[in-house]
Amino acid sequence: MSGRTCSSGHVVQAQKLVDQLRVEAGMERIKISLTAADLVRFCQDHRRSDPLLTGISASSNPFKDKKTCRLL
Amino acid sequence: MKMACKGLQTGETLSSLKRESESLRKKLEEERRKLADVELNQAAEKVEVVGALSIKTRRLLKGHGNKVLCMDWCKDKRRLVSSSQDGKVIVWDAFTLNKEHGVSLPCTWMMACAYSPSGCAVACGGLDNKCSVIPLSLDRNENLAAKKKSVAMHTNYLSGCTFTGSDMQILTSSGDGSCALWDVESGQLLQSFHGHTADVLSLDLAPSETGNTFVSGGSDRRSNVWDMRSGQNIQSFESHESDINCVKYYPSGDAFASASDDSTCRFYDLRADREVAVYQKDSIIFGASTVDFSLSGRLLFAGYNDYTINVWDVLKGTRVTCLFGHENRVSRVRVSPDGTALCSASWDNTLRIWA
Repeated sequence: MSGRTCSSGHVVQAQKLVDQLRVEAGMERIKISLTAADLVRFCQDHRRSDPLLTGISASSNPFKDKKTCRLL
Repeated sequence: MKMACKGLQTGETLSSLKRESESLRKKLEEERRKLADVELNQAAEKVEVVGALSIKTRRLLKGHGNKVLCMDWCKDKRRLVSSSQDGKVIVWDAFTLNKEHGVSLPCTWMMACAYSPSGCAVACGGLDNKCSVIPLSLDRNENLAAKKKSVAMHTNYLSGCTFTGSDMQILTSSGDGSCALWDVESGQLLQSFHGHTADVLSLDLAPSETGNTFVSGGSDRRSNVWDMRSGQNIQSFESHESDINCVKYYPSGDAFASASDDSTCRFYDLRADREVAVYQKDSIIFGASTVDFSLSGRLLFAGYNDYTINVWDVLKGTRVTCLFGHENRVSRVRVSPDGTALCSASWDNTLRIWA
C-alpha cells in the first residue's frame, strides 16, 4: 500500500516536471543578434541621462561637495 | 493481482514521463543554441568604450553596531533604509547623514528590508521567518517597534522583500524555497511560487512597463522568472556553478543579471532565453553577493566578499573599475532612483554613498 503511494508520488512529480518543461519549450525565442541590438540601443538611448556613467557636475549632484554652503 | 498491475502501470507512466522530460530538455537546449548567432560583446563592437569614471565615496553612514545586511532607497532619492545583524533598522537622510528613525527588533539577522513606494513605511525580516511592515511616524518619540505589523509568514528565513508598486502588496523570498505575494492590510497570502529546490536568496520585480513578472535566484543555482498572477514559472536558467545571491533586472526589463558564490556575475537575455554574458576575471576568486545596474544599463555594479565593488561594462563584458573602501564583505549595492549615486552596505557595519 505504502509502496503504491510512493510511486504515485514520483509520477505526480514527474508529471509536474514535464508540464513545466512543456511551458518553457513552448516559448517563442528571438535570435541574440536581434535582442542584443535592442539591449545596445537601450544603453545608447539612455546614456546621457545616466549620471554615474557620464559624471555630472558638483552643482547638479547633491552628493558631490560644492565650494559654497547651501542652506537646505 | 490488481496491485501488481497498478504497479506496472505506474512504472510505465514514470519511465515514459522521464523520456518525455529528457527529450523536452534536449529540445530546449537545441532551441537556445540555434539562437546564439552572436555574442553580446560582438553586437556591441561599434559602441564607444566607457570613459574614466570619477566615482568615489561621498558619504560614510556610521550607526549600525553590526553587519549591515540590506538597504533600499526611498523614491525621494535621498532617504534610505538599512537593516543589520543585530536586529536594527535605520532610516537615513543620505544628504545630511541624519538618522531619521531607528527601530530595534527582537530578531537578529534582519536580512531583508525595503522602502514602501509612498515613503510612509518600511518592510523588514530575516531569521524571524516573517516580513513585517513598520509605518514611519513623523513623531520622533513614537515607539516604532510597537507599531510593527507582521505580513508574511514563511517556514524559514526571509531572504528578500519588495513592495510591488503600491504600499498594498509585498513580494517575499525565503530560505523555505518559495516566494510569495501578500496583502499588507490583511496579511493574506495572495499567491505562492514554487519551483526552486533549495533556499531562494533574492528576488527582483520587473520594471513596471514590462508587466507582472519577477525573477528569483537561489541555492539551487537556478534563476526563475515568474508570472505574478498565475504563479507559473515561465522561464528558468541554470548556468551558475554555485548559489545565486542576487538577481536584478536590466532597466528595460528585457534582461537580468545575477551574482553568485562562483565569483561570476552573469547576464541573461529574456527574449533569447539564454545567458549572453559572463562577468569574470581570474583575479576575482571571491563570491559576488549583490548587483545593480546604472540608469542606462551600461554599468553593472557588483559587490563581492573580498570587500570590493567591481564595475562592469555590461555590453563589452570588461571591468571598468574597482571601488575600494569597505573593510569587510559588501552585502548590498543599490543605485539611487535618479541614478546620481550608488549606496553600498557592508559587514564592516557601515554604508557608503558613491558618486
